[in-house]
Amino acid sequence: MSTSTISKESSQAPIQAPENTHASRLRRDRRHGWGFMAPFLAFFAVFLIWPLIYGVYMSFTGKSLTGANGSFVGFANYVEALGDADMWHSMGNTLYFTVISTVPLVVVALAMAALVNMGLPAQWLWRLSFFAPYLLASTVVSLFFVWMYNPQLGLINELLGKVGIAPVDWLNNPEVAMWSIVIATLWWTVGFNFLLYLAAMQNIPQSHYEAAQLDGAGGWRQFFSITLPQINPTTIMIVILQVLASLKVFDQVYQMTAGGPAGSTRSVVQYIFETGFTGYRLGYSAAISYIFFAIIVVVSISQFVLTRKRSA
Amino acid sequence: MALSTLTSRASTTSAASKPPTLRRRKRISASRVAATVIVAVLSITWLIPFAWATITAFKSETEAAATPITIVPKSGFTFGAFAKVLQQGNIPQWTWNSLFTSAAITIITLVISTLAAYALSRIDFKGRKVMMTVIVASLIVPPPVLIIPLFYQMVSFHMIDAYWGIILPQVIAPAMVFVLKKFFDQIPRELEDAALVDGAGRIRIFWQVVLPLSRPILAAVAIFVFIGAWNNFLWPFIVTNDSSMLTLPVGLQTIKSAYGIQYAQNMASALLAALPLIVVFLFFQRQIIKGISTTGLAGT
Amino acid sequence: MNELNSVSRRQLLRGGGIALSGALGAALLSGCGGSAQAAGEAQLRFWHLLSGGDGIKMQAMIDTANASQQSYHVNPTVLAWGAPYYTKLAMASAGGRPPEVAIMHASRVTGYAPGGLLDPWDVDLLAKNGVTKNDFSPRIWNNSLQDGKLFSIALDSHPFILMYNTEVAQKAGALAANGQLEIVTNSDRFKEMALEMAKVTGKHGLSYGYLGDGAQMWRLFYTFYKQHGASMELVQGQKAVVDRDVAISVLEYIHSLLDDKIATASGDGGTAIAEFAAQDSGMFMSGVWELPTMQTAKVPFDAMPIPTLFGTPAAYADSHAFVLPHQLNLDEQKRNDVYAFVADILKGSLNWAKAGHIPGFQPVVQSAEFENLLPQAHYAGAADIINYDPRAWFTGSGSDFQSFFAENVQNVFLGRTKAKDGWDAFVERLDTLLSKPNPV
Repeated sequence: MSTSTISKESSQAPIQAPENTHASRLRRDRRHGWGFMAPFLAFFAVFLIWPLIYGVYMSFTGKSLTGANGSFVGFANYVEALGDADMWHSMGNTLYFTVISTVPLVVVALAMAALVNMGLPAQWLWRLSFFAPYLLASTVVSLFFVWMYNPQLGLINELLGKVGIAPVDWLNNPEVAMWSIVIATLWWTVGFNFLLYLAAMQNIPQSHYEAAQLDGAGGWRQFFSITLPQINPTTIMIVILQVLASLKVFDQVYQMTAGGPAGSTRSVVQYIFETGFTGYRLGYSAAISYIFFAIIVVVSISQFVLTRKRSA
Repeated sequence: MALSTLTSRASTTSAASKPPTLRRRKRISASRVAATVIVAVLSITWLIPFAWATITAFKSETEAAATPITIVPKSGFTFGAFAKVLQQGNIPQWTWNSLFTSAAITIITLVISTLAAYALSRIDFKGRKVMMTVIVASLIVPPPVLIIPLFYQMVSFHMIDAYWGIILPQVIAPAMVFVLKKFFDQIPRELEDAALVDGAGRIRIFWQVVLPLSRPILAAVAIFVFIGAWNNFLWPFIVTNDSSMLTLPVGLQTIKSAYGIQYAQNMASALLAALPLIVVFLFFQRQIIKGISTTGLAGT
Repeated sequence: MNELNSVSRRQLLRGGGIALSGALGAALLSGCGGSAQAAGEAQLRFWHLLSGGDGIKMQAMIDTANASQQSYHVNPTVLAWGAPYYTKLAMASAGGRPPEVAIMHASRVTGYAPGGLLDPWDVDLLAKNGVTKNDFSPRIWNNSLQDGKLFSIALDSHPFILMYNTEVAQKAGALAANGQLEIVTNSDRFKEMALEMAKVTGKHGLSYGYLGDGAQMWRLFYTFYKQHGASMELVQGQKAVVDRDVAISVLEYIHSLLDDKIATASGDGGTAIAEFAAQDSGMFMSGVWELPTMQTAKVPFDAMPIPTLFGTPAAYADSHAFVLPHQLNLDEQKRNDVYAFVADILKGSLNWAKAGHIPGFQPVVQSAEFENLLPQAHYAGAADIINYDPRAWFTGSGSDFQSFFAENVQNVFLGRTKAKDGWDAFVERLDTLLSKPNPV
């Protein structure tokens, strides 16, 4: 994105007004350039770059929340983390969540958008109901779903009972709990992807479809041969963003299951939080943060490479 | 699944027998009906959690915890849970905290991002490319990675349990800088050049030429940032402890209790917390949806 | 409105001299009037984790204390019980602006005091306020000491007890001549009794909820474990010392109670409360703090310590205890006020007993008013057989320890895992924790 805009501008550069005043304007531009950047850069340096660097330092110390044991420990934290079964467990949970949440969050959003985009009446109503949950705080979503998932008093088991399905232990069964969180997450955030898809679909020129209709292509053909290819860039972006968002999962898990049962839903971010603040070990927790960061970087780069290959 | 085969079958049969124009019309209406049904079912499903929370919130605590569960409580609906929550809780204070910090985050983010985006888009200053690269690279930093060092930093800044502690670390939005830069890139240079020739300075051009043209994008960014800040949980959760300083999402999390039964009160609090943004959404649906659609792809 | 503004102004000022985005701040600063708080009164911030009925009682006691004098005013902050509270208390202490006084579970103090997050109480100053060692039972007082220093003052002890529906028990023929539940000393007899009660209610004999609640699982487990006379010791750098056979048999016994006849196989705390409150069960194993709920629900019931089914009288318990979070800049006047406040609350803790807890302050327990307070007086004896969690920096109410217990034992209770596998996994977890450096 950035490189293309820069090259476009430099090609415009030769528009010249070869005067003294112009040169002075250019100089002034330099000064103004940094001047305009300055406020952002100040925050950027203090609240992003500095903690990023300081965190690296912390990860090499035994810093504790209580102030005890602040000494330099070299790579000990990293060595311990790499052999920490709980960390890998939380890492595995995070990846599991990412996979099983990204798929429905993309596919359901696509289906919703495709349906609504068929020119249905009362568009605003559908948009409202699909998107409204996105406006809720994670805490609200969690309260809603913990209540609906309640084994005895919950609405979901009640409704399942009505159609003869045995009650499910949504949040207390280690094999089910993560799926329950995925369902809540789907309800909560799918509206966002839905809106992005809908916007992309509405940008497809109507003439494409008209031409296809003349060729006798049916609705499904049109969807697969026109809609899907046309929104491919959107799909790529949505998948990338969704994967990155899912990897950072914390809020709803922390609030719905607190990582349980049996640690089966504890995400990396929760593990970072708990080792640092509940367990006091800030240094160790910083080390885990950077291992997690490294994984995110690897995932991001491989996504970038993959999508680039595909589009090339 | 069943529905999709149904619609496709409907389209093939009609395709075979009817003349083109008629065929097209009929096919569309058949699949449209099916689609409307699916979408209606889906959106009813999507509204169930709201509905159930509302029903529960208007029950008495005993009724809410009664088995078998009822849709309409025997003893009728009551405002009791809401009254209790408002009376004992800090919900008004938390709402104010959320409003103030989210507004501050939105304003500061908007100001600094717009300035930076303008410079990156329009001013050919030395170091711009480096800046671009650094900011692009920063997109990859997941905020949770920073909570440990940032907390430590806030301790030394004495910003734990302070509004600034909530606000300042949330104002860096590289993605929004790019959204804005992209928009500025599309503003014809001629507009600015004309003003430059008239002797206008950078600041005046920015203020009088660029900003007025950018209102829609500024609104979009503001909406996006505000919703994000309003609902942010992790950072305010880390940086605030005192009950009077909590934001709505964080405060709400503290009311869940291990003692006694208070399902109706939980739902009443949740609904009260959800209300402000839902109301805003009902009024500004078009703008918000447009805002999300234009900025959303840049990520958060 | 005015109050909102004044609060926000104070909090804005806390943000320090950072004048960024001054316009916003200035608009707020200029827009509000003076502070709503009365001059001269020291404002004491008091954190606790008591909600529901406990919270209401505590609030009433605070209100009484506030109204009874002019020197201080206590402003409570209530946070959710368990890890959220303790994590936040530690973060606030580390953040340099902790409350002047807080309530902790006595079992958690080991994880806080040595790291400097707490200040010790000054015994002399306490005595001046009329509170001394002799006012507490030895088990409780000894548990308040860390390395000989007094770090906590127990407001109460709150054991895990048995409540029973007197009408159901009567119909099941389980009442003794004195109108109280017959004394059971045998684990099989206890089950028979529960089954008979189940016949009476038509639902369950016993209510016990534990799903997703490590504390609740641990309370019952540790009660029965200690009734076997077994011990548990956790020393940093060593393996956990536990009695494996006893532990496994206790887990198996508890699982045998959760058979959907005696008690529901999978219920959470709220379900159990609701069930006993609706009189759908004859007995209810729970903490004392659920007492007011049952009184409100008008259940005809009495209460007693958990029957001694395995030989040694023992009850799991913990105490709500006052602690002094470490202050960076100690305000002597405020600290004096804190002592006065705590002494006031202790002396008025008969009210606290009404919430079900057994007051820690003996003069209250020995008063005639308390002896007439039923059913509290029927289980007050539990205070002499209480057992706190084994000491370690990670144990205590709502601790990691209890979540690890839940992680490994919930599936045993649910019948998904064998008792010995669950237990061994739990002990392995403890050994890992003990092998790591103590961060406190």
